[in-house]
This record gives sequence, structure tokens and C-alpha cells, in this order.
Amino acid sequence: MTDRTNEQWLVDLTGSPEAQSPALEDLRERLQRGIFYYLSRERSDLTHLPAVELTRMAEDLAQDATLRVMDNLGSFRGDSRFTTWATKIAVRVAISDLRRARYKDFSLENMTAEGDLLPASAASITGSPEPGPEATTERADVMLKIQRALDEDLTERQRQALVAMALQGVPLEILAERMGTNRNALYKLIHDARRKLRAHLESEGLSTHYMLNLFEDR
Amino acid sequence: MTTGQDDPLRKLIDCIFVSHQDEAMDCESCGCQLECFAEKVSAGANLHDLWPDVEAHLACCPDCAEEFQALLCILRAERSGQLDTSAGR
Repeated sequence: MTDRTNEQWLVDLTGSPEAQSPALEDLRERLQRGIFYYLSRERSDLTHLPAVELTRMAEDLAQDATLRVMDNLGSFRGDSRFTTWATKIAVRVAISDLRRARYKDFSLENMTAEGDLLPASAASITGSPEPGPEATTERADVMLKIQRALDEDLTERQRQALVAMALQGVPLEILAERMGTNRNALYKLIHDARRKLRAHLESEGLSTHYMLNLFEDR
Repeated sequence: MTTGQDDPLRKLIDCIFVSHQDEAMDCESCGCQLECFAEKVSAGANLHDLWPDVEAHLACCPDCAEEFQALLCILRAERSGQLDTSAGR
């Protein structure tokens, strides 16, 4: 594989077919190796897949990523190596694909159909020692305050987004699609919700330190 | 004693209290410079020292954090020569 400067990558990828073809193949191969490494070494949810399946996934994703890189060549500013920038795009293509596959059946309607946003399992931190009666009452009181803050301070959209992200681990990208917005706007919506909740709970004397002690130490 | 990192309530408490300043970075600003941050960190730079606002954003945004870590792991593998022996070709 030829090692090119940033400028050479751009010249070759936008040049004559004789220059473009090997450059495209070098780029695709490079992205494929990076994606395969990520899928095979860093994704604990894919360890059950045989190498041949991971290789097929990496090939498909690298193909998509190469097309995406070509579509976005004009936005490369040269602040990093070209291959690092292209790998960033490949990482996004791969992770987006994995997120969509994992959450293909997720719907906001199912998530909020049950009523209370805080599940019963949230009454204590998993694995903590059983609390005494006094601590149990104190925890129930804190739970009530958190639930009240969620109900009173947040809009429906903020509540949906925060609970899906924080409690269910739903990626912002997936949530944004389901909520008809984009990731950046959703991040800001959740950020605002966090600030409101934090202000509310602190005004009631509930700091992080206090709450973690309450749920872990007794 | 367990810290219960996976507990729903713990996640919610962390989410509420791990919050940064209003003026801090959003996903868009973070995303368009992610390759620069990852490249420098893979070469040994310290994110906390150089870009505390990026570090704060990554602590609050699981999507950006996942993408940053993925890019970083590939760049580190590349630097250490591990990608050359990767079977994905």
C-alpha cells in the first residue's frame, strides 16, 4: 500500500482514473483493516460472530465508508492526517450501523407506556447491602423527590430523552431519529434537562455525594 | 462494596450531576474536530490537560465518547503496527 501525504491523497482521489483507482483501493483496504480491528477487538457484543462474518461486515462497512469519504472530500480541512479523518468517518458509519441493528425495534411509545419513569428496581443500587428501616425511608423520600423533579421540571420530550438515554442506554443518534430531531439538538435538550434537575435537587439539599452515600453505604 | 455502576438509579444520578457549563462544547463542534483530538491523544497528549471542554463533553455524551474511543483504539493499533497484521483484508 502506498503511503501518501494529505495532498497526494486528495490529488489521487480526485485525479484521473489511473491515479484514482489505486488510491480508492488503498483507502478502502485501510478503512477495512481499521473497522475489522474495532469489530473484532473492541466490541464485546460481537464476540460470538466467527471471523469470516466479521470480515464480511468490515468489507461492507468499508465500502460504505469509502463512498462517504468521497462524498465529503471537500470538508477535509487538513487539521489531521487524511487517513485519520477518513477513519473517523468509517468509525461513524460502522457504529451507526451497529446502533441501528441493535435498536431496530426500539420505540418511544413502548418505553413510556408503563407510567412511572423510575423503575421499581431503582429503589436501591444493585448489589448494595440491604438497608435498615431508617435508610429505606430516606431512600424512598429521595426517590420521590427525583420522580417529582422529573415530572414537574421537565417537558415531556426532555423526560423521554433523559430516561431513554440515562436509564435505558439508548444512543442519542437513535433517539434523535425516533423523536424527529438531530443529535446535536437532542444533546442540548438533555443538557438543559440535566441542569434543571440538578438545580431542583440541589435546592432540596440533594448533592451527588449525599445520594450515592445514601444508596450505597448503609 | 459495589459502586453499582449499571444500576438505573446510579445512572440517573450520574447523568444529572455530571453536567458541564452552558458554553461548553456540543456534539457538532466535538465531532468536526474528533480526528484532531484522537490523533494527538494517540500520540500521548492528555485530553484533560489540553482540552478539558472536550473531556467534559465526552463525559456527558455517550455517542461522542463511543466514537472517540473507537477512533482512538484504531489509531493506537495503527501506531503499534497491529493493524498491519489485522485479518480484515
